[in-house]
Amino acid sequence: MQFRNVANLVAVAVVATGLCTPANAGPEDDTLRIAMAEEILNLDYNYTTKREYIILAQLTDAKLFEFDPETQDIKPSVASEFEWVDETTLDVILRDDVKFHDGSRLKAEDVAYTYNWLRSPESEANATGVVERWLEKAEVVAPNRVRFHMTAVYPLVLRDMASRVMLRKAGTYGEDGQIDRDAMSSALVATGPYRVVSFEPGTELVLERFEDYFGEKPAIENVTVRNIPDIGTQQAELMSGGIDWMFKVPEDVATAADAIPSIDFLSGADLRIGFLVLDAGGWSDAEGPMTKVQVRQAVNHALNTEEIAKFLMGESSQAIHTACHPAQFGCDQSVTKYDYDPQRAKELLAEAGYPEGFPLDLWAYRDKAVAEAVASDLTAVGIDVNLRYVKLESLNQARAAREIPAYFGTWGSGGTADTAAIAQIHFGDSDRNLSGDDQLSELVLAAEQTADPDERKAFYSQALGVIADEAYWAPLVTYTANYLVAADLEFPLSPDGLPRLQNARWK
Amino acid sequence: MLKYIALKGLLAVLVAFTVSLAAFLLLNVASDPAQAIAGEDATPGVVETIRARYGLDRPVYERYVSWLAGVVQGDFGESYYWHKPVAELVAERADETLTLAFSALLVTIVIAVPLGALAGLNPNSWIDRAALGVAVSAQAVPNFWLGLIMIILFAVMIPIFPVSGDNSWYHFVLPAIVLGASSVPAVMRLTRTGLIEVMGADYIRTAKSKGFRGNHLLRRHALRNAILPVISVLAVQLGQKFGGSVITESIFAINGLGRLALESILGADIPTVQMLIFVFAIVFVAMNLLADILNAALDPRIRIG
Repeated sequence: MQFRNVANLVAVAVVATGLCTPANAGPEDDTLRIAMAEEILNLDYNYTTKREYIILAQLTDAKLFEFDPETQDIKPSVASEFEWVDETTLDVILRDDVKFHDGSRLKAEDVAYTYNWLRSPESEANATGVVERWLEKAEVVAPNRVRFHMTAVYPLVLRDMASRVMLRKAGTYGEDGQIDRDAMSSALVATGPYRVVSFEPGTELVLERFEDYFGEKPAIENVTVRNIPDIGTQQAELMSGGIDWMFKVPEDVATAADAIPSIDFLSGADLRIGFLVLDAGGWSDAEGPMTKVQVRQAVNHALNTEEIAKFLMGESSQAIHTACHPAQFGCDQSVTKYDYDPQRAKELLAEAGYPEGFPLDLWAYRDKAVAEAVASDLTAVGIDVNLRYVKLESLNQARAAREIPAYFGTWGSGGTADTAAIAQIHFGDSDRNLSGDDQLSELVLAAEQTADPDERKAFYSQALGVIADEAYWAPLVTYTANYLVAADLEFPLSPDGLPRLQNARWK
Repeated sequence: MLKYIALKGLLAVLVAFTVSLAAFLLLNVASDPAQAIAGEDATPGVVETIRARYGLDRPVYERYVSWLAGVVQGDFGESYYWHKPVAELVAERADETLTLAFSALLVTIVIAVPLGALAGLNPNSWIDRAALGVAVSAQAVPNFWLGLIMIILFAVMIPIFPVSGDNSWYHFVLPAIVLGASSVPAVMRLTRTGLIEVMGADYIRTAKSKGFRGNHLLRRHALRNAILPVISVLAVQLGQKFGGSVITESIFAINGLGRLALESILGADIPTVQMLIFVFAIVFVAMNLLADILNAALDPRIRIG
């Protein structure tokens, strides 16, 4: 009797297993299942900022231009070509075969509407900050031609068009005073290679290949995005065939998982870099040690960035000596390099009047192991580091109050492989700029106001040279993008670290 | 009795509001909600836009008063992330958490009560020691660890259950075991102690002298009395399951209130966090109130005292 009960239970379990276990991911149903820890809540990249949303926007949206991560060129996408009418007027000519996911054809009015909407204060969009920097007005001058009137000379306009503004149908966000900023948050109608089939915020997003997409169609027909907050659970799903792709995998987890035959560990470049920002401007202490160039150079010499990259960041990480990612346009690598030389660091400290070192509050908010390694290297040359590991918000508040002598920061440039994307915010008119060097800010600004690429490169070379010579930063390492993928999935890595899932295919 | 319930009810509401005030202050003072919403690489311009959009540039006391005024009218505000009324959001996700909480409670009852009864009927025997061993282990193991072990064992190595998700009842088996296990020690010990106490009572001796033995004695005389305090503890445990679901729901990717709470805290979605804390506090307090009422109903000395 008892045995029969147990047998019944096992039978129920077996049947239930067959009925309820989720379908395996993979080529069988041509569905690429991916996991994201961050909850996906809003599909409209014009109104979001985080990395996950950039990845999804690559799948669902098309832009006027596209950035080619291999060549660093800006290529036409929805636009077929462009013409400068004068220094501040740009005409963009549109393809005539671009369709929205609802089947309607994209018109010049849609493009003008999108840009004008994002430019308007009532849009309150996250993309507004990028557009309002240069756009005065977009107007339709012919059925397939949009004229952009700019407020000033701005050579990065094509880059902005290629990175931030997703095209929407005219009237999307409301008409006649009725504003609906969430119009595209869950029922996205865009022009990209995949269209939204269903979306349950925070749980699951289902996409299917958009057969009327104007560009090269993706090889895989369906993509399902599941929100799985725990990295361990994601790994278990990958092992059991529930998902095919996960990212932001810690190095140790990825290395361990690589031993499983059904899983591949891919490690690629990421545009994020880590660095120390030093208060050369003396905001926190007008006479502080960081105001002396020898001290800042000593800090640079004290840091064993090669070992930090190798042992703490992963095999694709590399030590850097510039205030930008080497893969970025204009990131001149010929600037002064400070080799790891603790003895030279001590000598420089002595020259600066600190033979016994000095106490330093070093702030950090992420990658504690790296922050501790930095603190340890600095302590070894006599700098008595008090590591203040805090929440990002606290660091931002302290920095805004100009109370930070040095901090460990990182920057991902929003996936944009152009030095402008990092120089602008860290050496321009921002509280992140602790250099106190107005001429440097002018150089950075000048690079943004020049249309000629060679001239831009020259400006950045000059600016990066000043930053290195004056040791305003202590550049540390590049980050790596670690992925775990199913062994039967071919997922090409991009040099800019942005995952482009539309390029994935089954082996 | 009514006066007793009214007094306890009033105290419950006061506790809920005190908790909400503390939560509001901590959320606003300990971090910058605008920065948390904007993300790590957001430019100052974007952060300022968000601050203005959500009225986060107003003083904290002003925002709390305005939130409180809304709550009194049944309006819990709108989520910063989901851009929909928080009450609607919570209602949408309550199903998963209720399912998980009640399943977990069922697991607790199914494991703890028989185990406690066996231990109570055989004090100081090997059965008792084994049962106490189970209780100690269940208490010592953290939820997140047990969750991952269960996933590895029963979803990866022996693929009986799904790893994560909440599409069917089957998805709730492992999480219910994980969440239910944490309450086993308390309920098991209480059942055991209650039974040991009851089995030594005069009325049991009387029943035995009348010839009652075995299952009949246990079910009709002993367990019925020993289980009464357990019922009131189970009410409190149900309240704890709501709060305890935060980790379990995250591990098993269940889209319930616990996970909503975690995501909202990380993203500084203050209106959502506020309502969830309020809901959790109300549920917990209500369950405590229910336990108090049960005890008072069973033992009149409590309401007099």
